[in-house]
Amino acid sequence: MVENKNAIKRLLTYLGFMGPSLFAFLTVIIIPFLFGIYLTFTNWDGISTQMDLVGFSNYVLVAKDHKFWASIGLTLKYVFFSVVFVNAISFTLAYALSNGIKGQNFFRAGFFLPNLIGGIVLGFIWKFIFSSAFVYLGTTGNIPFLSSSWLADPNKAFWSLVIVTVWQYTGYMMVIYIAGFMNVPKDLLEAASLDGANEWVKLKNVVMPLMVPSIIICTFLTLQRGFMAYDLNLALTGGGPYKSTELVSMFVYGKAFLSQQYGVGQAEAVVLFLLVAGVSFVQVYFSKKMEVEA
Amino acid sequence: MPIKRILSLAVVLTLTASLFTGCAPKAETTEATDAPAANEPVKITFLNTKGEIQSQLEETVKVFTEANPNITVEVLPASAGQSPFEKVSSMYASGNAPTLSMLDGGDVLKFTDKFADLSSEKWVSDAAKGSLDDMTIDGKVKAFPMTVEGYGLIYNKAVVEKALGTTFDPKSIQTRAQLEDFFKKIKASGTEALVISPMDWSLGAHLLTIGYADQSADTAAINSFIDSMKSGSGKLSSNVAMNGLLDTFDMMKKYNVNGKDPLSSTYEKDAELIGSGNVATWFMGNWAWPNISQFSGTDAEFGFLPIPVSDNASDYGNNSIPVGASKFVSIDTTQNTPEQQAAAKLLLDWFVYDAKGQDMLVNTCNILPAFTNNTLPAKDPMSANLKAYMNEGNIIKFMVTLPSDHWSNAGASMQKYLAGKADRATLLKEIEAYWQSVQ
Repeated sequence: MVENKNAIKRLLTYLGFMGPSLFAFLTVIIIPFLFGIYLTFTNWDGISTQMDLVGFSNYVLVAKDHKFWASIGLTLKYVFFSVVFVNAISFTLAYALSNGIKGQNFFRAGFFLPNLIGGIVLGFIWKFIFSSAFVYLGTTGNIPFLSSSWLADPNKAFWSLVIVTVWQYTGYMMVIYIAGFMNVPKDLLEAASLDGANEWVKLKNVVMPLMVPSIIICTFLTLQRGFMAYDLNLALTGGGPYKSTELVSMFVYGKAFLSQQYGVGQAEAVVLFLLVAGVSFVQVYFSKKMEVEA
Repeated sequence: MPIKRILSLAVVLTLTASLFTGCAPKAETTEATDAPAANEPVKITFLNTKGEIQSQLEETVKVFTEANPNITVEVLPASAGQSPFEKVSSMYASGNAPTLSMLDGGDVLKFTDKFADLSSEKWVSDAAKGSLDDMTIDGKVKAFPMTVEGYGLIYNKAVVEKALGTTFDPKSIQTRAQLEDFFKKIKASGTEALVISPMDWSLGAHLLTIGYADQSADTAAINSFIDSMKSGSGKLSSNVAMNGLLDTFDMMKKYNVNGKDPLSSTYEKDAELIGSGNVATWFMGNWAWPNISQFSGTDAEFGFLPIPVSDNASDYGNNSIPVGASKFVSIDTTQNTPEQQAAAKLLLDWFVYDAKGQDMLVNTCNILPAFTNNTLPAKDPMSANLKAYMNEGNIIKFMVTLPSDHWSNAGASMQKYLAGKADRATLLKEIEAYWQSVQ
């Protein structure tokens, strides 16, 4: 009896603390997620009051939708380049800005600033730069690769997406890397110096292994943001020219709301979810193995 | 600290309760009876999807509220670039449907179970011929035609006449050869002849659809053409009107001022080109007047030329431009009270029959009304020119009830074709593939 009473009391305490957030988590994340999965088995068009169960036919349509897979391919390419460039550049910047050079804080703030601008605004600013400012420079200064709008060419439009993404996220990742650098114990570095290690050897053999947690976080964040990129895509290229830069989020949105095939769009979103979850899991699993104790 | 405890409990409770408030479904339809609006204050919302007249429409409904003090109308804007359908369906999904929704023709059909039956309204009998055809579903009128729009090749009269050195008769252009000759003469005088804008909506929803509308003077024949495209039995590669249109488009591409880099231009830049007289013609519609007149001044004269699809002046469509009701207003019955619906009907009546309402629509919002009882002269030269085409009967169907993603898909294919990245066979194959994917 006493045992039982205690258990109930404990449960109530748990619920008291966890209940509200659990409730919010269930209603805002879990239930919509499950309902979303349910919708992939219907032929709902997004508004009508009735829908029928159609089994797996939406997933069959997804498998046959070559435009969707092309969009996934493009997104993978975009994610690859943005992850590599964002991390490489922000790591370098963080390394340069954690050695106590003059004006270090000013530079840190400067590089972080783009991250404070929302994706839509950022997209419009860069749209102006790519389609007007660069073209003006290109035509007056006779620079051939700038003289026509980058956003009118599928390949250049893709790279302009990558450039703006790198510009936006580098500062944020740099802050995480700086925090990582500051946590590298000074005594280890000193010991390495006494053993005759130069800067490069210290970076490679002492700093890098200790930076693995920061690298994991930054890679994960850039991966996830890359896959989910929508606002920048919408404001900068709008998927154009002729749908050649439509990343997968935008494609799925268009499928569900513009083409009014909600079930198919939702099924594509589930496929995207599985892909992102899989990639992130693999990335975290393997990079965790590289972590060391200081 | 019992007070602190009670406070925090209260906060938690309110937060939890607020989670529920959004979830109450209100699915039942409450069709308004035609009772006169009670004197209790009613607030209705009007979703405006013509972004260019947002402030003018706000001004208009203020005048309406002066006449009907118990009704306030809030004009909600739809953000530029968001399709009206996306906006309305997301508002429905959030349980926050506007009383009046302004939609494109094809979108109304998707919401018919939610929209009020307007068949018994007085204005039905005064609507311009054909303007309600697409909106009559199972014999019920589901939407109010808000505005008539039309498009074609806009010409800047002063620039054209200066380039030609003589007065210009737009009726002299009814074949492809005449149009090319006209471009040549203008080009020879040192002025650029034409600008084609690269927006997908302009190419997909307007230019390409001339090929659909030119199929026949009979709406039923156009519909069966569309059906044959959906079933896959219709082939575009052998279609005379479509090939004729693309022949004309090929010719136009040669004279396009953006020819070297055809996709980089923007709507605003092109409006400036024709408005400031640097280019003689632009493929666009009468909605561009506010943008053009910024550069040309409001006294300049502009008119429309048809896009001929053959070299025979008597072929259907060669002397005509697409004109039709293009924006429709419907009244929600599922999330608005009968009082709100009655107030909304009052507003529509006011647009059609009240002298002030007529005046505000034509002169403030610069709308060409779809009602024959409104005889106010159009305020700008382009709308006046449209009216002239309508009065002469030289109009072809403005395809407004195509599937909602048609402009985006067909537009992308047309952009490729415009940029020279796809040949005609590819373009037609992509459009055929699009139609077969429509469900």
